[in-house]
Amino acid sequence: MKQRIAGAAIAILMTAGIAATAQAADDAAVRKDLFTVITLQGLPCGEVVSVTTKAENDHIASCKDGNRYHIFVNAAGRVVVEKQ
Amino acid sequence: MRVIAIALLFLVAGCATIPPPAPVPRPAAKAPQPSPAPPQQTAKPNVVAPTVAKPAAAPLNLTTLEARLKGTNAIGVLTKITLKNQVDDLLDDFRAYYKGKLKATLADLRRSFDMLVLKVLSLLQDSDPSLAAAIAASRDAIWGILSDPAKFAAI
Repeated sequence: MKQRIAGAAIAILMTAGIAATAQAADDAAVRKDLFTVITLQGLPCGEVVSVTTKAENDHIASCKDGNRYHIFVNAAGRVVVEKQ
Repeated sequence: MRVIAIALLFLVAGCATIPPPAPVPRPAAKAPQPSPAPPQQTAKPNVVAPTVAKPAAAPLNLTTLEARLKGTNAIGVLTKITLKNQVDDLLDDFRAYYKGKLKATLADLRRSFDMLVLKVLSLLQDSDPSLAAAIAASRDAIWGILSDPAKFAAI
């Protein structure tokens, strides 16, 4: 019985670990994407350190240098970067 | 996603008229080197040995590029949309230029084009170097289309 519980616990931990790794990779990809967008607009950032996602293609990015940007796709299909 | 990829293709829209790349001779497929000529054969000093072309990236055609851009993970979705916006802006500038409504010169447009290509290449070169090389190889062909009013009108 103890062995079964231990096995289940290990499986749960492994699944959680894999999920956490995948989530971290996704977060890193989003941060990189947003950083690229900010720099393509010629705006200062340094590095995106945190992201708050409001909706699909609608984010608030906080930069290492203290700048915050609202990045979203408007109705015309253009990516807009607004300094907060 | 498909729209983004297609939009990015405007950057290389001129490639639509480029015929599919000719097959590049592969060194592996080369015929075995003949053994050195026997001494009794007369040498032909003026004959230049055929050189095997390096397998450099050939210009892309539209279909190939669309597939490559759709498939690449080197650029995020928002980055692709941003680049699409900038490509659209550049194409608008060309339209205005050919209509005589833009005061910029062709050299100015060339500078904008070069900057945009550089942005794309810098985004791709580390994560998708083969696509970056293919776009770089298509660069002159694209400019050839953009800078020719007749070809540009056909885009």
